[in-house]
Amino acid sequence: MSDLNVRSESLDVEQIMSQIRSRIREKRGVDYTEQEIRELANVKLEKFLDPGGVRSDLLEQYRKGRESGTTLRNYAFEDTTLYESNRGFIVWLRKMLQPILKLFFNPNPLIDVLHKQSKMNDSFLHSEALYYELIHNLVLETTRMGIEVKNLKMRVESMSSRLDFDERRARALEGVVQYRPGAVPPLQPPAGPNAATNAQGPATEAESAERRARRRRRRGRRRPDQRGPEGQAMASGPDGPDDHGDSGPAESFEPAGRAADDPHES
Amino acid sequence: MKLALVVQRYGADINGGAELHARYVAEHLSGHAEVEVLTTCARDYITWKNELPAGVEPINGVPVRRFPVAHERRPLDFGRRSRLVFDHEHSVADELAWLESEGPASPALIEYVAQAAGTVDYIIFFSYRYYHAYHGPRRASSKAILVPTAERDPAIGLSIFGPIFRGVRAIMYNSPEERTMIEAAANNPQVPGVVVGVGSEVPARSDPARFRQAFSAHRPFAIYIGRIDENKGCGELFDHFQRYARTFPRGLDLLLIGTPVMPIPEHHRIRHLGFVSDRDKFDALAAADLLIMPSYFESLSMVALEAWALGKPVLANGRCDVLKGQCIRSRAGLYYESYEEFVEALYALESNGPLHDRLGRNGREYFASHYAWPVIERKYLDMFARLQAEPAPARAMEPLPGWFARRRKDCRAAASVLADLPAGATIDRAETARSA
Repeated sequence: MSDLNVRSESLDVEQIMSQIRSRIREKRGVDYTEQEIRELANVKLEKFLDPGGVRSDLLEQYRKGRESGTTLRNYAFEDTTLYESNRGFIVWLRKMLQPILKLFFNPNPLIDVLHKQSKMNDSFLHSEALYYELIHNLVLETTRMGIEVKNLKMRVESMSSRLDFDERRARALEGVVQYRPGAVPPLQPPAGPNAATNAQGPATEAESAERRARRRRRRGRRRPDQRGPEGQAMASGPDGPDDHGDSGPAESFEPAGRAADDPHES
Repeated sequence: MKLALVVQRYGADINGGAELHARYVAEHLSGHAEVEVLTTCARDYITWKNELPAGVEPINGVPVRRFPVAHERRPLDFGRRSRLVFDHEHSVADELAWLESEGPASPALIEYVAQAAGTVDYIIFFSYRYYHAYHGPRRASSKAILVPTAERDPAIGLSIFGPIFRGVRAIMYNSPEERTMIEAAANNPQVPGVVVGVGSEVPARSDPARFRQAFSAHRPFAIYIGRIDENKGCGELFDHFQRYARTFPRGLDLLLIGTPVMPIPEHHRIRHLGFVSDRDKFDALAAADLLIMPSYFESLSMVALEAWALGKPVLANGRCDVLKGQCIRSRAGLYYESYEEFVEALYALESNGPLHDRLGRNGREYFASHYAWPVIERKYLDMFARLQAEPAPARAMEPLPGWFARRRKDCRAAASVLADLPAGATIDRAETARSA
């Protein structure tokens, strides 16, 4: 969080928040207005993108529907159905009275329609099993794809955070490293298989002692309790909340709780 | 000077926000005046069941007179009436029925208030939305001082409260945002008012090391204190924190103190300690890196004030106008309105030592200059002095409409009234610059 340096005694929270927001904008690349966010929320984009939006109990509901559907058995409807009875006499009487009945209304279209409906019901019951299988497979595939998309998104997010962090760490290191002519010998082409060992060989005892001392001095300067205001600015400096895992900049910062000089603490 | 203080519940073990506020004010004002607390026999704010004996009982040196509640609240009936008045066009009679259903309905308490008006100098009513704070000021408007403890919820849009806000002698607000909202809703700028808030009983010394040892809290942590409730924004907090924890394996832990009324996610970096003693609470606050306040609706966050008193920064929900305003005015906290802001702000507080220190110092100064008890007491006493110096206003409480007018369905849905009220933090730039 390179821009959150607390230098002055007065501190403007709104300014800090605007810095935080501009940093988020930089990361995200685009910023929506409140109005746009509301419109997006109204669209319920999640329903389309998130597999969680697919009702997890969809198949269960469908199965229940089928079970309840099987209790309503289909019927057969023929041209004699209207006149059927267990008693033969009644069937005979109805047939005898059929011409009189036809004086009042014509039952033939009714018989015809119900017959067709019965055939359609048969056909529907047959195709329903196919629909069930199709929906079942679609839900499975959608869920699988949703999970895969989520995993990929997380991987992309993690990689972009790591990249972001690495870039900033590289920039910070570039700022720290000083080039001194003559400090590093020019690179020589390797002379043989033992060239690397030989190149380090001629270093005298005094030189390596000097190198050790220099390294120690450098470590001493980096100790957090000896950090000056520049060091603190750096601590609040080059990093933001990224997926830096175990080696992130948070480790190099002084823990906030301990940094506070709290007179209440005994 | 004789004062009466009327509140829905009262007791040493009753820790609701407004009730605790009332108790602190009563106890501190009792050093300057003769104070009597008038309240109900209820202990439970959902049912208002009569659980405590009626009569007088001293609590921390303040006499408390309790009156029975006439009927308990029926949640289904109250829910139905709330939907009617909040979401649909309705009548004044509907609003009065809603108020009666909300309770705690105690006609005996109101009768006593009317009698006491002749003998006391002022009657301080707490929480505008309850039965006693509506009927009480109507019976003793010339002595009534209101502490509304109003949040940004639809009740503020009910038409019956307008005459109360316009008819009391004075209003003690909790925050500038609350004042702006009430003045916009009731059009009452002529009523004397002052932003007071409430102090807190913060111990002079706290022992974070003891807490860390006693509760094995060895990692740095952020803390949430309060009822663990979806309405308090805890669902969103858990969601944000779990995402943050995935990104920052070595970041802060989250410690929760309070009674849960929603499931707490099983997560190795979220710890729930339940209800703890005041000592543990303050030690925990002192041991924490920061306090998180995820609530959407607050009239004044006492726990945020306590965190500031202990020099801890606050990370608040920026969609709560009051919390956002407090963070900006105090210069002692950051706020968030999305996950990205939450994680960036939390990271800034966690990792940026100088920023953390500066916010903590500002918080301590803000508490000392605005919410220390001598400051709060002075504001109350100044208001009493001002009211005594001013002649009683000619304006009287507006009467209720007639029988037919009360039943005319011409009141707008309270939620739509609320939507028209000004929102956002109320920042006095000049004042903020001066304090900076």
